[in-house]
Amino acid sequence: MTEARSVTEADLHAYADGFLDEAGRARVERFLADNPEAAEMIADWQAQSDELRAAFAPYEKSKSFDIRLLSVGFARPAAPPGRRFALAAAAVLVFALGALGGHYGPRLFERPEIRLAYTEVLPREARNAFLVYANEVRHPVEVFADEETHLANWLGKRLSIADLKVPNLQPLGFKLVGGRLLPVGGKPGAMFMYENQTGQRVTVLVGRNRENRTTSFRFASANDVETFYWIDGELGYAVTGEISRDMLQKIAEECYRQFPS
Amino acid sequence: MKAREAQAPAPLSFEAQILALLPQLRRYSRSLTRSDTESEDLLQDCIEKALVNRTQWRGSNFKSWVYRIMTNLHLNARRLNARRPSVGIEDAEGLAASPGVDDPLERNRLVQALETLPKEARAILMLVVVEGYAYQEVANMLEIPVGTVMSRLSRARQALREKMREENVIQLRRPR
Repeated sequence: MTEARSVTEADLHAYADGFLDEAGRARVERFLADNPEAAEMIADWQAQSDELRAAFAPYEKSKSFDIRLLSVGFARPAAPPGRRFALAAAAVLVFALGALGGHYGPRLFERPEIRLAYTEVLPREARNAFLVYANEVRHPVEVFADEETHLANWLGKRLSIADLKVPNLQPLGFKLVGGRLLPVGGKPGAMFMYENQTGQRVTVLVGRNRENRTTSFRFASANDVETFYWIDGELGYAVTGEISRDMLQKIAEECYRQFPS
Repeated sequence: MKAREAQAPAPLSFEAQILALLPQLRRYSRSLTRSDTESEDLLQDCIEKALVNRTQWRGSNFKSWVYRIMTNLHLNARRLNARRPSVGIEDAEGLAASPGVDDPLERNRLVQALETLPKEARAILMLVVVEGYAYQEVANMLEIPVGTVMSRLSRARQALREKMREENVIQLRRPR
């Protein structure tokens, strides 16, 4: 008995977007006849939709250079200054945080009340590194996945980790893009980047912790960027991505399993 | 809703499919971004990514696959571009006026109001309204529940409506 079913907001959207069948439309229209405010709202939505379609319709066209976009390595026009600047600013931020950590780190870590400092620095740096590098299309990493052994040896040496292994996240659908060296808490740290088939990226950060302590998994979230981090003895780890918390936790657990304890 | 692209009898090459999709992709790109420059950047990044990841396309629903790549690229990029000025669409070069719209000023105000939306909500609104995707298709594309699609769509529409009203311009409505 359709009459008895109340009209939901989802029905109103579907009506405005033309997704309802005849019976559904009739039902919503009876509802709107008794609810002038809702009727007005839907009319506004539809006017919005018309305007938006009209606004962007002219962009649906080919351009003479389109075919060249298809050859990888197409020399694109220089990135506009705004983007360069934003990237540079974010990079400066990452390195400034690193430098600050380096300058104050050792001293701060001796004081018990700042014990939490590393656990604050770690997720923040992990997030900044993600924001800077996950965004990079051409140079997200210094060493690409095809040189995985070299990557592991190189970063392992810089971090003084004898048998650094690059975590394998293939079972979770994330393929290694590569890695780079970057400061974490003012000391050399490693970042590994992974990507799934839809282009979502996650980064895994490994840094040296001064103090020898171990934490459970912790979680930090800001503006949809989620970070799982933990400290295991002298090493701190952080897994960052803009993906569901569930998936990120699986990745963190997988890394935890694979990293040497 | 718009017809899905017909399956061609002879499969097109990967490049040919992208080329055929480019105009729509350009429209979607522009509807997500603040300026023509940003839009062309996003378009290029998207094509590059699609080409590099071509082996990962599973042979069905090419358009959704590419749209998803573009959406993810855009959402990943968002915070770094945080404060670039939005360029009104009337500044765009070489665009034919679209027929049937009587108030370019009002339309431009609406496009400016888009800048106040969260990027996810804006993308969903564009996918539904401009690109003609059904709610479930958007949910599949972005790998989120359909309820999330609905709530973001709703928030986007209400936010635009309030924005347009608070600026206190009497709205002209075309009879439907």
